[in-house]
Amino acid sequence: MEEKALTTSHPNTRRHFLDLLLGASALAWLASVAYPIIRYLKPLPQTGATGPTHLTREEAGKLELNKFVIVPVSGQRVIVLQAPDQQLFAFSAKCTHEGCTITYQPGQSQLWCPCHDGRFDLTGRVLSGPPPQPLAKFTAQRQPDGAIVISELKA
Amino acid sequence: MNDHAKKRGVMAWLDRRYQISPLFEFLRHKEVPLGSHWMGWYYLGGVTMFFFIVQIITGVLLLMYYQPGEATAYESIHFLTTKVPFGWLIRSLHSWSAHLMIVALLLHMFSTMMLKAYRPPREVTWVSGYFLFLLTLGFGFSGYLLPWNKLAYFATTVGTNIVVSVPWLGDWLLQVLRGGPDVTINTLYRFFAGHVVILPLAFVGIIGLHLLLIQRQGMAPPIEARVAPRGMKFFPSFALRDLLLWLACLMALLTLAVFLPYGPGIPGMDWELGDKADPLAPAYPGIKPEWYFLWEYQLLKEFPPHLFGLEGPQICLFLIGILLGIWAIIPWLDRKAYVNKPSPEFSDFGWGAILFLTYLTLKGWDIGAGGPAEDPAALQNIARVCAWWTLGAGAVVILFRIVRYQHSWFWLSGAALLQVALHGLLHLSYLRAGVIAGAIAFVAVVATYLMESRARQRSAG
Repeated sequence: MEEKALTTSHPNTRRHFLDLLLGASALAWLASVAYPIIRYLKPLPQTGATGPTHLTREEAGKLELNKFVIVPVSGQRVIVLQAPDQQLFAFSAKCTHEGCTITYQPGQSQLWCPCHDGRFDLTGRVLSGPPPQPLAKFTAQRQPDGAIVISELKA
Repeated sequence: MNDHAKKRGVMAWLDRRYQISPLFEFLRHKEVPLGSHWMGWYYLGGVTMFFFIVQIITGVLLLMYYQPGEATAYESIHFLTTKVPFGWLIRSLHSWSAHLMIVALLLHMFSTMMLKAYRPPREVTWVSGYFLFLLTLGFGFSGYLLPWNKLAYFATTVGTNIVVSVPWLGDWLLQVLRGGPDVTINTLYRFFAGHVVILPLAFVGIIGLHLLLIQRQGMAPPIEARVAPRGMKFFPSFALRDLLLWLACLMALLTLAVFLPYGPGIPGMDWELGDKADPLAPAYPGIKPEWYFLWEYQLLKEFPPHLFGLEGPQICLFLIGILLGIWAIIPWLDRKAYVNKPSPEFSDFGWGAILFLTYLTLKGWDIGAGGPAEDPAALQNIARVCAWWTLGAGAVVILFRIVRYQHSWFWLSGAALLQVALHGLLHLSYLRAGVIAGAIAFVAVVATYLMESRARQRSAG
């Protein structure tokens, strides 16, 4: 009885083992096809200038005219604005709700995202609307020579 | 040799090699079930396909001039519409046909749902149609970015940001979709590949399955009819009617495309090229997605920043995911239709969904205000006007269902209307109104089922 069970189960175990081997190698094959594709699709980290950014003359002109300007700083969109008391502020221009580019409303001293009506005050805090987080802050400084330098806030 | 004999000769030649006569035999016997329901619903799938064919033809023509690229995408579309003979017409046809395809698809999907055509043995047909619906939305979304104008830029920013809410994979997905952390020209390259290669391949594959299943099983007869009482011959009766309708659709499409080349000019249905995309320009007031995404846009607006310790947008998108998931597995949820019994509950679910979407869409459209409104009084006014329109439409639908189908189950469409009334007329917040209406509907549905099952037990006992 035991011998019979052994003879019938023996080919089964061998088959089972081969199936397992085949399945595992099929999986390994799939993984080796998928891995390069997954790596290929993931974009490279952005390269470009990092660190403090000087406003160009054109950007400074826009700031003077519209009371705000949006500039790239370390690969991010940054809104630089001039409050009525001439103080400079800089925030990430990316709304924390769905990532639209915000704008500055000088009359109300508010930052406003027109996409879903989110409002922020001049410290970046949410005043109203759906944004879940305050805006990320940057520093904006006027140099003695009049140039404006924007840099990331050190944590 | 005359024409007839030659034709027969070719057929015989093919038949000897490929045995095609059973196929012709099948087509000769193919019938469309007739019943108490309106035949018009059976044509909507064909109409959707007609507009899809127009999309392929006009899309290939647009490809001959379109050049994706930072300095060329916008410029090539501008050149196409201003300089190329009939370029404006091809673009107009492509845009109009896209919108009409979505209209036809929505009508087709909701009518299939109301007629319970998803019941066995056609569950896979429903699911394949569901994926075609998602792919069509993908077509609309990806095609929108290609002209690289300002509106497209922000619509794509918001639209792609949605994937961040996917647990674990969110950030990776966002990067893969955008080709970087933000929407840039790399996003356009990826969307271009998706719009003209990946989506069409997937679509054609699934539509092949969808059509094969329909040919294999025929169209669904009305519920409770084991066999259709009588049928209409597919060839030539139904096919000729189909063809006539396609011609009518073509004429309507041409008329619209010629006389309104940039769309009807209502928000979400307007394809004026406008300004070129500028990542360093702020979004502008009154920015709206296409009309078929307006409900989602509005729902995102209704959610507060935080809820139950999670971020509002995340919960909102989770909720949308659940609703879309339910929609996909309806054939298995509807137990009555499963055994070929009428299921007014699921008709009501369909109507509830339509009323829910209608209210959000109307509100997203700022119906009741001259333009985009921001101050609370104007927003309340919009909520009220849209509420009256939705309640009116809901009353008409319920009355029609009582008179025409003797339906008496209205808990879900009732809940949708109650939410609209509480929010629009009594100024409760949209979510609070939704929770109250949902809770009442939940209690009512459970109570109805308990009463029904007790009545069944009593009659069995």
